[in-house]
Amino acid sequence: MSGNTISRRRALQAIAAAAGTAVSAPAILRAQDTLQLGVLTPLTGAGGFDGPRMLKAMQAVATEVNAAGGLLGRQISLIIEDDQTNPEPAVRASRKLIDVSKVPVIMGTWASAVTSAVAPVCWESKTFLTTVSGADSITLLPHQGYLIRTQPNNHLQAQKHAEFIASIGAKRVFCLSIQAPFAVPTQNRLSEVLPQKGSQLIGSLIYEKDKTTYRSEIDQALRAKPDFLYLNGYAPDVTVMMRDLYRAGFDGGRLTQSYALTSKVLESLPPEVTEGAYTTQPSADIDSPAFARAVKRLGIDDPDSYETQATDWISLVCLTIAKAKEATGTALRDNVRKISQGSGMKVYTAVEGLKALAEGKEINYEGASGPCDFTDIGDIQDCKFRYQQVAGGKFKFLKVA
Amino acid sequence: MENYLVAMGVSAGIFALMALGLNVIWGMAGLINLGLVGFFAVGAYVSALLTLKLHLPIAIGILAGTGLAALVGAIVALVTVRLKGDYLAIVTLGFAETVRIVASNEIWLTNGTDGLSGIARPFGADFSPVQFNLFYLCLVAAMVTVLFVFIDRLSHSPFARVLRAIREDEQVASVAGKHVLVFKIKAFAFGSAALGLAGALYGHYTSFIAPDIFVPLLTLYIKLALLVGGVGNTWGAVVGAIVVVTFLESTRFITPLIPGLSAVQGAALREFLISVSLIVILRFRSQGILPESPSHPVVPARTGAETQPAQI
Amino acid sequence: MVTEVLQLIINGIMAGTILAVPAIGLTAIFAVLRFANFALASHATIGAFAGLVANVNFGLPIVPSLLFAFLVAAVVGVVTDEFVLKPFRAAGFITTAIGSIALTIALENVVRFIFGNELRGYDLPIRRDWRFEGIRIGPQQVENLVIAVAVMAAVFLFLMLTRIGKAMRAVADNPMLANIKGINAEMVARIVSFVGMGLAGLGGMLIGLDTTIDPLTGFRSMLSIFAAAVVGGLGSIPGAVVGALTVGIGEELSLLFLSPNYRSAVGFFTILLVLIFRPRGILGQRAL
Repeated sequence: MSGNTISRRRALQAIAAAAGTAVSAPAILRAQDTLQLGVLTPLTGAGGFDGPRMLKAMQAVATEVNAAGGLLGRQISLIIEDDQTNPEPAVRASRKLIDVSKVPVIMGTWASAVTSAVAPVCWESKTFLTTVSGADSITLLPHQGYLIRTQPNNHLQAQKHAEFIASIGAKRVFCLSIQAPFAVPTQNRLSEVLPQKGSQLIGSLIYEKDKTTYRSEIDQALRAKPDFLYLNGYAPDVTVMMRDLYRAGFDGGRLTQSYALTSKVLESLPPEVTEGAYTTQPSADIDSPAFARAVKRLGIDDPDSYETQATDWISLVCLTIAKAKEATGTALRDNVRKISQGSGMKVYTAVEGLKALAEGKEINYEGASGPCDFTDIGDIQDCKFRYQQVAGGKFKFLKVA
Repeated sequence: MENYLVAMGVSAGIFALMALGLNVIWGMAGLINLGLVGFFAVGAYVSALLTLKLHLPIAIGILAGTGLAALVGAIVALVTVRLKGDYLAIVTLGFAETVRIVASNEIWLTNGTDGLSGIARPFGADFSPVQFNLFYLCLVAAMVTVLFVFIDRLSHSPFARVLRAIREDEQVASVAGKHVLVFKIKAFAFGSAALGLAGALYGHYTSFIAPDIFVPLLTLYIKLALLVGGVGNTWGAVVGAIVVVTFLESTRFITPLIPGLSAVQGAALREFLISVSLIVILRFRSQGILPESPSHPVVPARTGAETQPAQI
Repeated sequence: MVTEVLQLIINGIMAGTILAVPAIGLTAIFAVLRFANFALASHATIGAFAGLVANVNFGLPIVPSLLFAFLVAAVVGVVTDEFVLKPFRAAGFITTAIGSIALTIALENVVRFIFGNELRGYDLPIRRDWRFEGIRIGPQQVENLVIAVAVMAAVFLFLMLTRIGKAMRAVADNPMLANIKGINAEMVARIVSFVGMGLAGLGGMLIGLDTTIDPLTGFRSMLSIFAAAVVGGLGSIPGAVVGALTVGIGEELSLLFLSPNYRSAVGFFTILLVLIFRPRGILGQRAL
C-alpha cells in the first residue's frame, strides 16, 4: 500500500506543477513589451489545411510592419492558438486569448460553427473578431459591431459566380456541395440567378466530407448530363473530386473556390486533371496593386482567397490601431470604417497606410481580397471577383468581374 | 486571468457531471458506453430548442433536457440489452454519431451545421460577463455537489450492490432473483440523465451549440477523466475531470516556450503532450488516481469477464 | 436502373476489398489480444506516409513502396504495443482500448509534426476509367483490388500453413490450451501486432493511392474499417473480408434511396441491424 501512496503523491505533485506553470506563464507573456494581436485558427482538424496559410499571410504583414517601425512605437507579436476546427476547444482558446493574453482582436476563425461559438465571447468582452466564415447567420448575430467578415456572403458570391458561369456559355449547371451551412443557400441563389442569364441549374447534391472517393456521387451528377460543374467544397474533398471527375471522363467546365484549388494543390495534381478548371476569389479592382503586393510579400504567384483575406485583416487592424492611437476592441470597432472606406487616399498595404496616417492624411484601405468596405453588420459591401483558369498545370489570369 | 480560470472551472464542472454519469453506467453497472456525447447532445438540443423556439423558462428547458436524455438512455439500453462488451460499445458509438448526423442534416429542427445561436442564459441580462461567469461556476459546482452526494449515497445502497453483482456475474445475479434488465436500464437512464443535464448546462453557458461540438473526442475526454480518477469511484470522476481540463489547458502555455517550432508543429506537439500525459497517468495508475474505495469490493485486476471471449 | 445498381455494387466491391486489408488487421489483433485496437487509424496513416516517402522521395515503384509501408507500420505497431499498450492489458480490455485511442492521437500528431497538414499525392499516373456496357472501372481500382486480394491470400496461407500462423490461431482459439502446449503467447502477441498493424499501414497506403493523403487519412477510414470487422464478426478473419464487402456495398447501395450526406449514418445503422439480429456478426465470432 505504501507504494500506491508514493505514486499517488507524485501524480498529485505533477498536477500541481502543471497548474503552477499555467498560472505563472502569463507573467512571462506580460513581461514582453510588444503589441499582442490574437490569432485563433485551425491548425489541426478538418480546417488544418487552411489555418497555417492564413497564419503565414498574417505573419508576413506583421514582419513588414515591424521592419517599418512597428505600431504605436511597439513591435507587433501574434499570440497564436489552435481552434482544432471544433467549437468547444475554440471557446476555451478564445477565453485564454482574451483573459490571459488580453488581446484586443482575434483573427482567423474559419469554420462557421467555430466563429458562431467564439463571437459571443468576443463581443461580450469587447474584443474585435475577424473571420472568413461564410454562413449568412454570422453577421446577423447581435455582435454590436465587434465582428467583420472579409468573405462575401453567400447571396453576393453565388450571384456573381452564377453570372460568370452563364457568361462563359454554360447551359446545364450541376452543383456539388460539401455539407456545410452555405450548401443550400448557394444552391438556391444559383437556381435563382442562372436562368436570368440564360443558363440553368439542372441539379444539385450535397456530399459528406472525409470520403476517399466520390465516384458514386459523381455518377449521380453526371447522369443529369451537365456541361458545367460548380464544386462548392474545400481542398481535401475537391482534390478527390477533380481526380474522380477525370477518371469518369468528364471534360466539361468546372468552377471552384481558390481556396479549394490552391497553387500548392495545383502542383500536387497531374495537369490533365486540372486542365481548364476555373477558380475564383473575391478581389479588388483590376488596377489595384494590393494583390500584386501580396504576391510579392508571400512569394506565391497566386495567393488564394484565404491568404488575401488574412492579409487584409491584419492590415486593417494595424491601420485602425494607428488611427485610433489605442489597441482595444472598442477602438477597433469604432474606427475600422474610418480607414477601410470613405474618401481618403487609397492605400494598398499596411505599411503604406501607416506612413500616410503618420503624415496626418485620411486613408481608404483597398485590400488584396477586395475594397474592404464594410456594412454596419460587418459584411463587405460589394466586391469584384477574380477568375483564373488552369492551363498546363498553371493558373492563367482571366478577368476581374 | 481569473476570468479564464473561472471559465475553465465551468468546463471542468461540466466534464465532471458527465464523468459522474458515466460512473453510474460504467463504474457501477459495468456497461460500456462510447456514445456519451450523444446523450450530452440530446440534453443540449432539447433545452436549447425549448427555450429558443417555445420560449419556455430555462429551468424547464434544463429539466426537459435531463429527462429526455434519461428516456433516450433507457431506450438505448433496452435495444442493446442483448449485446455485450465490444458490441455494446459500437452501438452506443453509432448512436452518438447518428445524433450528430441527424442534427447536421435536419436543418428545419436544429439549424444544421450552422448551429443554434442566442440560447438564453439564466440571469444573462442581469450580470456583467464576468459576473455571469462566476455565477455559472457556482451553479455548475452546486449541480456537481448535488449529483455527487446523490451518487455517493446511491453507491452505498442496495441498488448499487445489485449493479455490482450484475457487473461481476450476470447469471448469478439473475439466479438470485434480480431482474437484471430493469437494473441495467435504470442505471443507464440515470447516467444518461446526468449527461443530458451537462449538455443543457453547456448550451445555456455558451449560448451556442452546433453538431460539431458533439464528436467522439469529447467522449474520449470523459472516459479518460474517469479512468484517470478511478472507475467506480465517485470522487474519482470529479478529480479526473479536473485533471483532464488541467492537461488540456496547461499544455497551451508550455508549447510556446519551445523555440523553433512552426505553429502547426506547436499544435501537434500540444495534442501529443495531452495524449501522452493521459497515457502515462493511465499506465502508472492503472486503477486511476483514486481507486475504488475499500468499503466496496475492489475491482480485481482481471475480472472473469475480461479474460474470456466476449460472451454473447 | 440495372446498370446503376451494378455500378454501385462494383464501386462497393472495390471499396470493400481495400477496406478488408486493415479490417483483417483489426480483427486479428482482437482475436489474439482480445481488445479493439483503435490505434489502427494512426498506423494506417503512418503506412500511407511511409509509402509516400518511399515512392516520392526515393522513387520506388508502387509494390516496393507498399512493402515499405507494411514494414514501417508493423514495426511501429509492435513497439507501441510492447511499451504502451501491453502494460494496460492487466487493467482490462476497455482500458486498453481507450489507451489505444490516446495512442492513435499521439501518433497522428507525430505524423503532423513531421509532415504538416498539406495534402500529398503519390507519384502515380492518373488514367481514365475503362468503360463497357455503361459501367466504369478505374485501372487503379483494379490494381488495388489485385493487390488487396493477393495480400489477403498471403494472410490466409500464413495462417493455414506456417507454424507461426497455426500458433496464432491456437492462441486465439484457446489461450490456456495453447499455453499448455508450449506456445509462447508473448511471441504470438508480438507477431500479431506486427502483422496486424502492418496490414493497417498497407491498407492506409492502398486507400491513399487513389487519392491524396494527410495526417487525418487513417482517422477518416477508421469507422468503416471498424464497421467491417464488427459486421463480419470480431475475431474472424474471413468475417473481416465479408464484413468489409458488406459495408462497402451497403454504403454504395444506400445512395439509391438516401441523399449522399447520410452515408455514415447508414453505416452505423447497418451495424446496429446486424448486431441486433445476429450479434455475433455475419460469420460469427470464431477465432481466426
